[in-house]
Amino acid sequence: MKVEYVGPFAEAAVSVMKMVLGTTPERGQLSARPQIFTTQQINIVCGITGMVEGLVIYGMSMVTADRIASKMIGAPVVTFDGLAASAIAELGNMISGNSLALLASKGFNCDITPPTIIRGTNVKITTLDIPALVIPLEVPDIGEFEINVSLQERRRAAQSVA
Amino acid sequence: MAKRILITDDALFMRVTLKNILTQNGYEVAGEAANGAEAVELYKQLKPDLVTMDITMPEMDGIAALKEIRALDPDAKVVMCTAMGQKNMVVEAIQAGAKDFIVKPFQPDRVVEALQKLLAA
Repeated sequence: MKVEYVGPFAEAAVSVMKMVLGTTPERGQLSARPQIFTTQQINIVCGITGMVEGLVIYGMSMVTADRIASKMIGAPVVTFDGLAASAIAELGNMISGNSLALLASKGFNCDITPPTIIRGTNVKITTLDIPALVIPLEVPDIGEFEINVSLQERRRAAQSVA
Repeated sequence: MAKRILITDDALFMRVTLKNILTQNGYEVAGEAANGAEAVELYKQLKPDLVTMDITMPEMDGIAALKEIRALDPDAKVVMCTAMGQKNMVVEAIQAGAKDFIVKPFQPDRVVEALQKLLAA
């Protein structure tokens, strides 16, 4: 897992949040995480395919998710319903999508899968043999939002025989 | 008469956001599709004046749907509206006949300007 894959996600998260939430998140210290870790209350899972592949998981507390969804919808979220979940998923999709442009500028062309939301704190996620790097973001007036990046360069196993 | 738009996005939040922008600016939302296959089907039924098209969607992605819609109607006006703004994606969409390419997140004005330009009498 190379650190150069992480930068685009942090950079994209800051610019997307500035525009969508109207606030500038502060980046915390990058750290490594074992292949198996326990989720936060709300997790957006985005698959990355292409020249680098793996998973990016955006994790946050329920309170943070409520505040983000309220800001995006423009009205307070009373119950975390389908619309609120969709707003949070779309935030993950926008961060991942914007990261792809930055990864492409480094020569890695990739694609993303539609986001999935996992709710519940006792879920153990394993990224198989790819360790995750985590960047915490402190979003003013909203809370902590962490980005788990677990990517590796595609193995060239399927090379064609000339 | 108000121009009729077909919205395509797998995210309910995005469909609601686009619908608000469009109706507030005098457009009629002819229908909403949650994936590319639905968009192709609704295009045939509704014959909208313009389609907004996400790219990353389950079932059929937005590029495949764009190609099918353009094959059905070579004059179809399709505007891509996606989080993926990398150059190869923009080039592929424009080559396949997309009229504009809006990268999310966007300001409502960006969408309105694109539609006004494409739907001007």
